[in-house]
Amino acid sequence: MSKHDSTTDDSTTAGPTPETTGKTGAIDINDLTKIYDPEGEHVVAVQDMDLSVGAEEFVALLGPSGCGKSTVLECIAGYLDPTDGEVLVDGNRVSKPDPKRGVVFQENRLFPWKTIKENVEFGPRMHDSIEEGRAESILDEMGLDGFEEAYPSGLSGGMQQRAELARLLANDPDIMLMDEPFSALDALTKEIMQKKLLEVWERDNRTVLFITHDVEEAILLADRVVVMTARPGQVKDVIDVDIERPRDPEVVTTDRFTELRERALSVIREEAERALEQEDGA
Amino acid sequence: MSASTIDQIQRRFEGDTVPLPGKRVRQVLSIVLFFVLWAALVRFGILGFDKFVGPETTLVALVESLAGAPMTEGGETLYEHAAFSAYRVVVAVLIAMGIAIPLGLTIGTSRRWEDALFPALEVFRPVPPVAWVPIALLLMPTFRSGVIFVVFIGAFFPILVNTIEGVKTVEEEYVQAAASLGAESRDIFRHVIIPATLPSIITGVSLGVGLAWITVVAAEMIAGGVGIGYIIFQAYRLLQTEVVAVGMIAIGVLGYASAAAVHRTGHYLTRWEETE
Ligand SMILES: Nc1ncnc2c1ncn2[C@@H]1O[C@H](COP(=O)(O)OP(=O)(O)O)[C@@H](O)[C@H]1O
Ligand SMILES: [Mg+2]
Repeated sequence: MSKHDSTTDDSTTAGPTPETTGKTGAIDINDLTKIYDPEGEHVVAVQDMDLSVGAEEFVALLGPSGCGKSTVLECIAGYLDPTDGEVLVDGNRVSKPDPKRGVVFQENRLFPWKTIKENVEFGPRMHDSIEEGRAESILDEMGLDGFEEAYPSGLSGGMQQRAELARLLANDPDIMLMDEPFSALDALTKEIMQKKLLEVWERDNRTVLFITHDVEEAILLADRVVVMTARPGQVKDVIDVDIERPRDPEVVTTDRFTELRERALSVIREEAERALEQEDGA
Repeated sequence: MSASTIDQIQRRFEGDTVPLPGKRVRQVLSIVLFFVLWAALVRFGILGFDKFVGPETTLVALVESLAGAPMTEGGETLYEHAAFSAYRVVVAVLIAMGIAIPLGLTIGTSRRWEDALFPALEVFRPVPPVAWVPIALLLMPTFRSGVIFVVFIGAFFPILVNTIEGVKTVEEEYVQAAASLGAESRDIFRHVIIPATLPSIITGVSLGVGLAWITVVAAEMIAGGVGIGYIIFQAYRLLQTEVVAVGMIAIGVLGYASAAAVHRTGHYLTRWEETE
């Protein structure tokens, strides 16, 4: 911690700020280390990780399971305090959750005791900015019209995930942090959701950090794919996805896509093997 | 998932294989069986039951009481005694809810309050409610308020303990989700902690109501002056065993009805829990 004593939130100059770019939602991860249970088992989940995500950029974070992806995301969300290093958003150090940073997880976190509409209106309600009809139109866009008064338990997994996305969008965050949001869905639903997400992102231009262990999903969606090492997590490789937008799920058949996928896969394979060796050694 | 497994097991046992009589018929059968057993116990003097009345005499007494005949030597009818007991239970449970729920929410959310209050409460918890009767009689101005106080003690702890437990098992994920949507701690308390704790609170209340009935009968036997517990004990002293039996039936019916009322209300309040 001591090394940050001399810098205050305002004077930190590491990353782009809204003043320099005119856009909001830039994420800067500097030297991030997270150790779980430092006195006991001492699990080093993430070590000295550096990553910058530009404002309005779509970055996919790809890596073997257990490599620390969720840990990174929860540090950005403000759920976890880094053991060392820091996360800056638009130049300000993250210390707690904030409505500017919306979060979606694999297992939905809709409030079970609120109807779908109440869930979607929850964020706006917290800052007294409920607009009549807005929840309905977002739900409509997500294909959930007619389910306003239903409780989450009455919806299928895919619908719950759409409702969760609707709740996030209704709150109009600068940054969307998504932790394997579609991995529990069946292939068809997943494709529909990916399409929806692309549509929404290409229109609204928010920053997205999208965690996945699905290589194709990462390339299909992101501007850049960041591949992480096995635990302790660090950035292993960054792949620029130079496939033009708007994209739709058909791009997976193009040659460029195949090339990028092979490249990502070879990096991941290397890491997965290393992770296996680590386990054998332990 | 587990619910469907249970369904399956039940189906296997209740069986599409063996045709059983309808639900209503079985319920009636169970009551008839109970009366037959009771009559047999009295008739053959099993377990000393020959000193007690049989169902026939009780039925006659029950019909008389239901028709509004005064019970034992006092002038009150069965309805008046039942109303007194029910009144005590309702008032005591409402007061217990009014104190135990806010207290439980506070203790559950705040470490500081927990350390300050919980150890003291833990000391009192194992004391059976009826043991409070002497203190209640000394401290409370009337018999009536004394009984209510004791019943309150009976209902208080299950509600408190379940509320605390409920708060502690609120999933962190919901708190985080609310915070990420811009909720301050007051909003989180209102929109996450309280609704997430509601199922536990309801469990506590239904346990509390059950204990309240047990306590009210015991307290009224000692110090009621009026009420079903009082009438049961009074009848015992006057050797009117059929009145004892009528009192017991009345308590059973009242307890059952109040449990059903709590269950229905609770079910309605947590209708979001339904999975199907
Ligand atoms: N609360 C925790 N306590 C201890 N270890 C944890 C905790 N959360 C995660 N870990 C460990 O940290 C590592 C990284 O976890 P996580 O960030 O969830 O990985 P990923 O999301 O990439 O699968 C894993 O080895 C996991 O077991
Ligand atoms: Mg994860």
